[in-house]
Amino acid sequence: MNLIGAVKAYVDKMTDESEPGMKVLLMDKETTSIISMVYSQSEIQQKEVFLLERIDSPNYANSTGLRYLKCLVFIRPTQHNIELMCNELRYPKYGAYYIYFSNIVAKADIKMLAENDEQEVVKEVQELYMDYLAVNPHLFSIGLPCCMEKLSWNQNALQRSMHGLVSVILSLKKSPIIRYQSNSRLAKDLGSRIEDTMNKESSLFAFGQGGHSLLLLLDRRDDPITPLLTQWTYQAMVHELMGINNNRVNLSNITGVSKELSEVVLSAEQDAFYAKNIFMNYGDIGQNIKQLMDQFQAKAKSHQKIESIADMKSFVESYPQFKKLSGNVTKHVTIVGELSSMVNKYHLLDVSEVEQEISSQNDHSAHLSSVRKLIQDDKIRHTDAAKLVMLYALRYQNQNNETYNLIELLKKRGVTDKLLKDIVYLLEYAGSHARQSNLFNVEDAVKITKRFFKGLSGVDNVYTQHKPLLHDILEELIKGRLKDNLYPVVGNHSSGLRAQDIVVFIIGGATYEESLTVHSLNKTYPGFNIILGGTTIHNSTSFLKEVENVYCGEDMRSRKHTKHLRNVIFE
Amino acid sequence: MADGIAIQEGFLCPICHKDMRSPQNLLSHFQDLHSEDQEFLKSLKGIYGKAKKKILKLDDQDLQTFKELTREKYYLDSSDPQDPGPSQCHTNYFRDIRRERLEHRTTETNKLIIRLDRLLRTFGSDRKQQEQELVVWLDGSTVTRCPSCAASFNIARRQHHCRLCGSIMCNNCSYFLPYDIAQTIVAPVNSVNDKEYSGKDSDTLRICNHCLNMLESRRRVQVDQMIKPTIWHLYSLLQNNKKQIEAAVELYNKMYNSLTSGETTFLLQDVQTLRSSIAEKAQMMDTLSKKIASEPVDPETPKAALLQNNIRKSTSNYIKDSLLTLPTPPTMDEIDRIRHKLAMSFKDDDLPETLDRRSIRTVAVATGWSPAPASASSIDNEQENPLIEQMRIVKNYIDQARKAQRFEEVASLEENLRMLRETYRQQQRA
Repeated sequence: MNLIGAVKAYVDKMTDESEPGMKVLLMDKETTSIISMVYSQSEIQQKEVFLLERIDSPNYANSTGLRYLKCLVFIRPTQHNIELMCNELRYPKYGAYYIYFSNIVAKADIKMLAENDEQEVVKEVQELYMDYLAVNPHLFSIGLPCCMEKLSWNQNALQRSMHGLVSVILSLKKSPIIRYQSNSRLAKDLGSRIEDTMNKESSLFAFGQGGHSLLLLLDRRDDPITPLLTQWTYQAMVHELMGINNNRVNLSNITGVSKELSEVVLSAEQDAFYAKNIFMNYGDIGQNIKQLMDQFQAKAKSHQKIESIADMKSFVESYPQFKKLSGNVTKHVTIVGELSSMVNKYHLLDVSEVEQEISSQNDHSAHLSSVRKLIQDDKIRHTDAAKLVMLYALRYQNQNNETYNLIELLKKRGVTDKLLKDIVYLLEYAGSHARQSNLFNVEDAVKITKRFFKGLSGVDNVYTQHKPLLHDILEELIKGRLKDNLYPVVGNHSSGLRAQDIVVFIIGGATYEESLTVHSLNKTYPGFNIILGGTTIHNSTSFLKEVENVYCGEDMRSRKHTKHLRNVIFE
Repeated sequence: MADGIAIQEGFLCPICHKDMRSPQNLLSHFQDLHSEDQEFLKSLKGIYGKAKKKILKLDDQDLQTFKELTREKYYLDSSDPQDPGPSQCHTNYFRDIRRERLEHRTTETNKLIIRLDRLLRTFGSDRKQQEQELVVWLDGSTVTRCPSCAASFNIARRQHHCRLCGSIMCNNCSYFLPYDIAQTIVAPVNSVNDKEYSGKDSDTLRICNHCLNMLESRRRVQVDQMIKPTIWHLYSLLQNNKKQIEAAVELYNKMYNSLTSGETTFLLQDVQTLRSSIAEKAQMMDTLSKKIASEPVDPETPKAALLQNNIRKSTSNYIKDSLLTLPTPPTMDEIDRIRHKLAMSFKDDDLPETLDRRSIRTVAVATGWSPAPASASSIDNEQENPLIEQMRIVKNYIDQARKAQRFEEVASLEENLRMLRETYRQQQRA
């Protein structure tokens, strides 16, 4: 079960099937992202694809074509795309067309296309199931930054998620049993939509079942803590502090960055250093990047003194690798440099320590005073101060707490109204009323002893104490103890079958911390194959934005669970 | 080394592959002409300094806090190629529908072409009469409006007939197909014998929009099928070369590995020849791709420029990544050393246990000395018993070592020779 491999195999099939010749690849906005997650432009050029076009770009229809090119079409089977494609076939710009849809396409749409192909330019029409963004071999995203509207599915997002998941399980050749988080309407709706499609297209899903597989649908609201925490592993940290969008990181607002580096690609497929360090923590990365720099400097030095013919030859021969290496070095040095300057500037270590304690220990008065102290520290960012209050409010929601007063302190600090409102939104979105799992089960006696021993042996680290709820859920599942009443099965299947291949999908977005959790579970339990997906991959900023969006257009004056926070005023 | 290899040697610029004759020239050439890379390197240095400072600072303060963490080595494995998942093919369904639809259209178009051909052969003053005999004109008595623009017919707007299908339209909705174009439609490839057809070139044929579209789309398909621009031919040449090179590279790697692992399947000479032929083909690919990039571009198709540049870029990437990194063939010297070592290790395996094993490893190259390649005659005869051959080689080495006053080696070689003789004797007895 490797998602990157699955998408790559499909792309290779696409480029191989169309006979040799110069090719253009015609895509839409989403399929462009899908391809760019697995192949770089220079890689795809080696497959004879020399031009990339967007069928939905406004200039495309009026541009001129080149009839001596073959056109590979890779688009989603949307109504809009079908219309654009009909138009394209009526006035073909290229000599031959090989059409590939990223998902199941309606017969009626194919008929419409066929009727427009008067010049008989179409050579191939196929469905290749890659309707998702393959981020890592075990991680995918649908690319929906916001999926809810007034606490239920946005219909388009529901449709898109269903399509995405169907293509994921098809590309992995699985026909799974579906289980969902029982208190989530969203998970239930999505589950039954997928089940419907699987029944309707049963011939597609008729795989010779080698072992059982499971699709587990979860709701982000069960764990609002994970996306709020400061992260310390490379991929997660870059996403939290700088943002990763389709494997791309924007560095243009760092001072003194050259033009080539204004946007860089972080792809474990093409970048060995990144693949090695993706789950490493901040300290290790610092060391590894120093090694990388030394390595590079040694190479650069040997390249500087070109004296003999032999030097010259070795220079010419190693130049491509050298240039590649130097590109990578610059990229990572810039990124790590920026991360470290942010960590220092915003005192993220102090912030993180308190975040971790709130999320995994139980000590109200100590936590309260730490939060107070940090709010009064003007070196930390407003958003970090507000996030601390959010964590505190979620943590101690069901006891006498000081959230009201902390909000007052935030106000004094000059925190924006928007962030204050986010506190209320978050409590409404994922307060204890919306959760079915015990998110803060720190009082559990076994765990306390465990922690005690861990603390003694000095293994645990203050900045990485937190384990996402997903870890517990998956461990229960692996041990066959996940409760049927909390995670029921869609349709008339039995949940008693032990599934080895598991796809977990979080409605409302997954995080890179959870990706690491899944990765380490895969390593710990070699018999199991777990893949994680989400409507998107969140960092704290995008998560709060999605939460805000849920209540967009809602009248917050009649809110149910946060009436006592009168000092956050809604117009 | 073989002569052909000179193509890749010398002071080549890594970017444009020009031979600069001397290292000084190359350096100044690189600085002058590839300044964009210079800028890149400069910017690299800038960032480098700054970041190093930052990271050094990071070391003192923070790294310590993370040191205690368990070093679980989590990393991502690269994704191995795998079989594609399921797919569903709609091509046949698509073709069926298209055929159904196009069959009707094709017969209609063919009918029009036949009629057009006949119309072009009408002569004389009764042309209109003849035309009407070929194509039955629609009876216009009940038609009061133009079917295509819905304007009513009157004295000023008279009814006209399409010469090809006989339908009715007004003057505004008529198209006039010039005879010369009509002739190319009827006989696109054969040079047209003008005398066969009537009318002057300036004559036109009145036809309706519908018929025009049908003729036009047929003409377009025919034209597109025939036009193959220069770049298309250049590209097929390029791909041909690439295909040959790929096969050659595969063979080269096989030969190289075989040679360096001490096998005698391939001759060094052949490996060198192959390498120079790869170099020649790479040169050819380079030239072809340059030619493609410099093909003039029709201003109406700006995409072609991008296409041509991308072909050039990907070709030079291919050459850089796959061809320049080919290992240089080992020298005769190296090969002999490898073979010798290998032979020793084989001996090791075959030797009877009674022999002292310690003595074998001592043909050491650790001191940096190695015997010159054995003379060609000694490896000529493969029919000979390999032991005898080996013994001769070792004797040869012993002579050389003695001349070079490497007596340690002489000793160990003598030891080897003795063992070889022993084994040979045993073999003869058996």
